[in-house]
Amino acid sequence: MALIELENVGLTFRVRTHGRITFKEYIVKGMFRRRASAIMEVRALEDISLRLGEGDRIGIIGHNGAGKSTLLRVLAGVYPPTTGRRVVVGRIASLFEITLGFERDASGWENIAFRSYFQGETARTLRDKLGQIAEFSELGDFLNMPLRYYSTGMMVRLAFSIATAIEPEILIVDEVLSAGDLAFQCKAQARIQQLLDHARVVVMVSHDLHSISKMCDRVIWLDHGRIREVGPAEHVVNAYQHHSNSVERQAA
Amino acid sequence: MVAYLAGIWRLRYFWTSLVRIDLRNRYRQSALGIGWSLLHPILMTTVLCVVFCPVFGTDYRQFAPFLLTGLAFWNFVVSTATQGCQCFFQGEPYIRQQSAPLAIYPLRTVLGTAIHGLAALAVVLVFTWSIHGFGNVPALFSLLPTLALMFLLGWSLALCCGLTNVIFQDTQHLVEVLFQILFYLTPIMYPARMLAERRVEWLLKFNPLAVFIELLRVPILEGRLPPLGAYCTAVGVVAAFLAIASLALVRLERRLIFYL
Repeated sequence: MALIELENVGLTFRVRTHGRITFKEYIVKGMFRRRASAIMEVRALEDISLRLGEGDRIGIIGHNGAGKSTLLRVLAGVYPPTTGRRVVVGRIASLFEITLGFERDASGWENIAFRSYFQGETARTLRDKLGQIAEFSELGDFLNMPLRYYSTGMMVRLAFSIATAIEPEILIVDEVLSAGDLAFQCKAQARIQQLLDHARVVVMVSHDLHSISKMCDRVIWLDHGRIREVGPAEHVVNAYQHHSNSVERQAA
Repeated sequence: MVAYLAGIWRLRYFWTSLVRIDLRNRYRQSALGIGWSLLHPILMTTVLCVVFCPVFGTDYRQFAPFLLTGLAFWNFVVSTATQGCQCFFQGEPYIRQQSAPLAIYPLRTVLGTAIHGLAALAVVLVFTWSIHGFGNVPALFSLLPTLALMFLLGWSLALCCGLTNVIFQDTQHLVEVLFQILFYLTPIMYPARMLAERRVEWLLKFNPLAVFIELLRVPILEGRLPPLGAYCTAVGVVAAFLAIASLALVRLERRLIFYL
């Protein structure tokens, strides 16, 4: 049983214009009854209602800053919604910013281990997967080296191999389809496809409209934090493309 | 509460492997390994003995083990607090990827410093035995509850420092200054009874850390079981720290990400 439900979800970031404050400022400014650092409110998401169930393949499209990644993070439980309700049933795996969160002084093997543990593996379940992950990454003897000597491409390979070695019920993917070199990309595509086939619910963000309409059956078009349109993949992608083209024409 | 602890337990492989990596990195930096980082309390003790044994008119055979015990505790607390300040920034990439109980990040810090503290304690024991002969074993067993209490104290301290540091960026600096001051207010270099003799007993009464030093010193240096009252005070102090930490955690568990 896998289910995601969002009900009138809104998310407002309160951003300090001057970064973090210090105790010193807090006390000094506090005496003069002024805000230590002005707070700006950013409405990242507004009034989002969604219901995703068994077998759903959802794509999210929209311009930069439309709230796509934020929505994914709300779904994954990283950001708590400011308003509204979020219900999730099922084991979630999320693939975003996968190259972050490596320990640079540890070897590839160690990174495989603790990253997998973070995704909920145990020593026993990892034993079977370790070889599989190493093989998929094609990094061979490099795995004995500390990560600080890895190139970005190698890091992406490793991250992708670890992140996709799980069998989640709910899979949340943010733009990871462009991983590594060309040969690895084909392999990665195939692996994603395989994951898509097995996961019960899939939510993905991509700027690649072609793969979105190929992989998803429903698409959500986000615009300034609101759902602008939702419906069958082809229909929404066409509407979005049409809109983008007309904006482009206006600019020209 | 139980569900929260279960969540921490479920991720045990994750944080234990992080601790293992931390320790290896820390001790691999130098050829002497763990001995290198134990050099600090030993050198400090040597220097202080050279200066203060003549000043206080005490024998170094009394003063050195006395000082080493105090420093072992103090270094544990200070390093837990200062490193704890960074614990959530250290764990930021993980916090941003997946929602996991936040308490695992200060746990990573305190496990590291605790292992280091145990090594320092081993130095104390070996040194004391080499001077005064093998201690009273049953009394030494009384250290186990003390160590457990110290661990909980460290965990909640690291958590509080970490949370505060996320919101106020000068926390670590203030913590360092505060502990520098506290060092002189805590009976580390001088015995607690000196305060009583000079009618500043209240300094001891309001110092939540002093009782832990007593709990360490009595069994190691005097070979006696510490008084039950000391345990009660220590449990009270730890409970208070845990309560503050839990309250802070309840308030910030979900919202911390917005401050990072």
